[in-house]
Parts: sequence; C-alpha cells; structure tokens
Amino acid sequence: MQKRSLKNYTLRYFVIAILGIIAIWAASFYLFIIEEVYDNIDDGLKDSEIRIKNEIDKNAEILQTDQYNLGQFRITPLQNGDYRYATHIYNDKMYMPYDNDDEPVRILQNIFLHNGSPYLLEIYTSTVEEDELLEDLLFALMVLYCALVISLILINHFILKKAWGPFYGLLTRLKAYQIGDKNRFERSNTHIKEFNELENELAAMIHRNEKAFEQQNQFIGNASHELQTPLAIVGNKLELLMEDEGISEDQMRKIGEINRTLNRMKRLNKSLLTLSRIENQQFGPMERLVLNNFVHQGLDDFGSLIEFREIQVSIEEDGKFESEINADLGTILFANLFKNAILHSPKNGTLSVRISDTMISIKNPGEKPLDGQKIFERFYKDEQNENSTGLGLAIVRSIVNLYPSLAIGYRFENGHLFELKKIL
Amino acid sequence: MKILIIEDEKELLGVLQRSLEKEGYLIESSSDFHSALDKIVSHEYDCILLDIMLPGGSGLELLSEIKKLNKDEAVIIISAKDSIDDKVNGLELGADDYLAKPFHLAELNARVKSAIRRKNQNGNNLLNFRNISVDPDNRTVNVEGAELPLNRKEFDLFYYFLTNAGRLITKTAIAEYVWGDHAEESNNLDFVYYQIKNLRKKLNDSQAEVDIQSVYGVGYKLI
Repeated sequence: MQKRSLKNYTLRYFVIAILGIIAIWAASFYLFIIEEVYDNIDDGLKDSEIRIKNEIDKNAEILQTDQYNLGQFRITPLQNGDYRYATHIYNDKMYMPYDNDDEPVRILQNIFLHNGSPYLLEIYTSTVEEDELLEDLLFALMVLYCALVISLILINHFILKKAWGPFYGLLTRLKAYQIGDKNRFERSNTHIKEFNELENELAAMIHRNEKAFEQQNQFIGNASHELQTPLAIVGNKLELLMEDEGISEDQMRKIGEINRTLNRMKRLNKSLLTLSRIENQQFGPMERLVLNNFVHQGLDDFGSLIEFREIQVSIEEDGKFESEINADLGTILFANLFKNAILHSPKNGTLSVRISDTMISIKNPGEKPLDGQKIFERFYKDEQNENSTGLGLAIVRSIVNLYPSLAIGYRFENGHLFELKKIL
Repeated sequence: MKILIIEDEKELLGVLQRSLEKEGYLIESSSDFHSALDKIVSHEYDCILLDIMLPGGSGLELLSEIKKLNKDEAVIIISAKDSIDDKVNGLELGADDYLAKPFHLAELNARVKSAIRRKNQNGNNLLNFRNISVDPDNRTVNVEGAELPLNRKEFDLFYYFLTNAGRLITKTAIAEYVWGDHAEESNNLDFVYYQIKNLRKKLNDSQAEVDIQSVYGVGYKLI
C-alpha cells in the first residue's frame, strides 16, 4: 500500500465529497428553482385566464380573438360535443420575432362554455429557456466547485503547516534520536493537546528504553564481573590437579584440553567486560593523540608473533593521523585490528599498513570478501577460527562509535582492507 | 616466609593456599575485614594478598590501615576488577602490585617472589639457582660467570621458569605471561613451543644446569 502524505490523503476525500455534495445540491436547487419559476408563471397564466373570462362576460367581442395578439391569448370556438372543462398548462415553442427563432413558451389551455357553446382558450407567456438556464447554472456551479477546491487546497496547506508543525518537529527530533545518545530528546511546548500528549508519551517511552538499555549494559558488565571468580577457581584447581602425582599421560592431555577450553571462556569473559565498559563509557577522558604511535606500538607488541608466522609488514606513513581519543582505548583498538589481521594472514603473507593525515588502513591477504556489516557484529565469527571470541571487531566498532569524528570500514580489495577514517 | 591471604571466596582461598604452600611458605588466611585487620595488627608477614571486595569493609580500607601502621609487608591486591583505574588507584594507595582475577598460579607465584624480593632490598638482589645467577633489575643472566645473552622475551620466559622452578606451567600461562593480552589461540601455543625450543638451545649451549621439560603436552617445567 502506498504511503500518501497526510495532505493528499485528506484532500482526496474532500475533493470527492464536495463533488458529490455539490452535485446533489445542484440537482435539488435546480428542481426547486424551476418549480418556483413555473409556479410563478402558472399563477400569471391563471390570473390572465380569470381576467379574460371576466372581460368576455362584459364584452363578448373578445370571443372573436382567434389569433394571438397583444393580449397573448386566442379563443377558438369548438364543435358541440363532450369536453373536459378543465385547465391544462404545458410547455411549447413559438416563433419570436425578436430572437428570430422558436423560443420556449408556456401555454394555458382551457375549454369553457359561454352561452352554451364550447370555446378553447389558449394563453401563452414566455418562459425560461431551460437549456440555457441549466447551462448557466452548471457553469456557475463549476466555478463554485473550482473555487472551493482551490481554497480547500490552500487552506489545507496552511492549516497542515501550522497545526501539524509541532508534529513534524516531533518527527524530525525522533529521527535524530539514537538510543544511548547523550542528546536527550528535546521537548517543545506545543499548545495542541493531542501533540502535547504524544510528546509526553514518547518522552516517557524513551526514558524507559534508556533505562532498560542502561540496565542491560550494566548487566552484561556485572555478570562478566561475577564470572571472574568462578573462572579463577576452576582454572587454579585444574592447575593444581595437573601437578598431582600419578596422573597418566592420557589423563593429563584431557585435563589440558579442559584447561584450554576454560581459557577460551576466560578470554570471552574478558572481551565481554571490555565491551561492556566501552559501551557504558567507563573509560577515561580523551586526549589529542597521534594515532601513528598506536600503530607502531601495536606492531611492536605483536612483533614476535609476526616473526613467528613469517608475515611481512609494509608500512607507508604519509602523514600524522591526529584525533581525540582515550589512550587505553587507542591501544585496545589497534591491538584488536592487528590481532585480527595477523591471525587471518597465511604464513608469508603481507600485512600492509598505510597512514595518512585522515586515514589509517590495515590490509591482510584474503580470497573471498567478507560481509562488511556482519563482521563488526558481536559474536560473528569466521567459520574457520573456532578459537576466536567473535568480539574483536565488535570492540573496535564500539570504540569508534564513541568518537563521532572517527569511522571504521571494511572493503575487499585484493585482500581484507580495514580503514579507520577521520570524518567531519 | 609467612604470607597472609585475605580472600572471602573459600574455594579460591584453598587453592591459593595449597599452591603457595608448595613453595614452602607458611600461610595464614582471613575471609572478612575484621579478622583480617586483627591479624594484620597483631602479626608480621612477608607478603599480604588482599582481595578488595570483602564483606564488612573494603580491602582498600585495609590497605590504608596497613600503611597507617607503617608495616612493611609487600601487599599484592588480587581483584576481579580489571580496569586500569582500579589498578592505578590500588597502586597509588600503596599496594606493591595488582593482580586481576583470573590469574595463573605460576603468575601469582612469580609476583609474590618479586614483591618480597623488592621489599628485601639488601643491596645484593640476585636470584641464584645452581650455576645460574640472574639479576632481575638489570635483566641479565650469568651462567658460571659468563653472560648469557637473552632478548627481552627470552629473559621474561626464563625468569618465569626460574621463579617457578619445579612447578608445572601450562602453555597458556606461559603465553599470557610473556605476550600478555595478545596471547590468543592455539597458534600461539605452537609459538610457545618455538620460543622454548630456542631458549632450551641457548641454555644447553651455555652449560646451564637446568632443563625445561615438556609435561605431556600441556605445559613445561624447569628442573
């Protein structure tokens, strides 16, 4: 179903409704007027009938009027016979010299007796030309209709703008609102009751959502935090167990496997905690830093791993990427990007890093493009790497989201290319 | 040497105690603020392991009490709180080290030894083991008088083994100690093997009277 603008929606109904109403009204009006007109004319004719008959009584010569004359009547003697002695009025056409055409007239016919002889009396009078009247009326009505519709459109437009102004303002603010946003939902003080209510309810709902979001974030952080102790206990007990005398090689391996899986849990928990702290903005203040340093520090930290995997690193440094960022978050951001790139590089692959004033890019070899949206989501994992927590890139994204002037993106260009850009 | 462990999780307290007892320490313990305070006030220790989240009062309060009493025990905070702020806070209040849970027993052991060593700075600070002498401050190793050149990571690794002599250290513990947060998946464990192989060779070549033994594939032990 197509969505129409409110304006057009109401307009459509109005236009059709008015058309219907005007049509019905016009028809009724016409009939009514015509009836009045004829009533009037007929009254005139009947009046003439009475006057003529009175004159006949005074002056029988009038009975000789056998042609229409100034009196606009004629009398025709009839054969003796049975007649209905009644009055009959009807429409007809008669030649009018002025118009040089047949024009409509209304004729009264009456058969009466005078001194025992029947006579036919016919009186005529001009009447409205119905056609033309109808035409004029229709024309006037169309003008009325158009005027109404145009006024309706204009008034509709202005009313919508004025009355619905607060509504559209509300819509704009809603569109700009993001959950967890520092910019609280601003209130306007609209006088219109319904919009005021709408705003109240929306503000309340937003408030509830914000609280739930906050609680959910804190919950993840609190839960991860609580998990640290039992994880520690299990891990430490396993370590002690492995030192027991009399454990067979087979048993030791099994315990080792348990330990490795436990370590996976520990890493996952730690990532969850980090992610939760980032999203709850529990990291400290930002400083204006040169991110090039984080790149170098990261490459240094991963130095022995890079060497072990025989990965070649190429760096092109064409500028200084400066940004406001918290120092610890900067370290975490690049650690995750590098860890990701290194772990997904084959042996002897090349890790390419490029730095400019507005962009830092890290590229590692790859065959098939990844889904640029999904890889930054929590727990999205590349199928091959079951030891990955799936949170590394999610952490990268959360950090970047804290700073509106930074953006992170992925694209495939003969390899997996991650770009950190400065926007604004 | 006496160590006081202040930790309210009984299970954890038990493991820590058993592990440290293997190293020959005498262990005392407390599970809440007030009994801990009593022990601190009335006894002397070489090292205190302090959990910050305690029933009855914050561990940080205990720390300030310790400082007020001018006691010279080495204090290591053990806490589930892992944020840098918490660490900085704890160290500023006078703790000697901060260890975030969960940690490996080998790591705890190494930190306890280091903390006690730093407290007992009596000039001569060398760690001697058979024909090996390690200077942790200058990060040098001498075997029968001749210097054994080790790079940064190799030194860290060797020192870790030496402070945990005779104890099993799992591959993961090794990876995390030496490479910190970057130690991740199983690839890293091959990486550990590769590093140890190099270290072993150097030790062999220098006639050091130690060996790093592999334990059934789960870890290594220095013997």
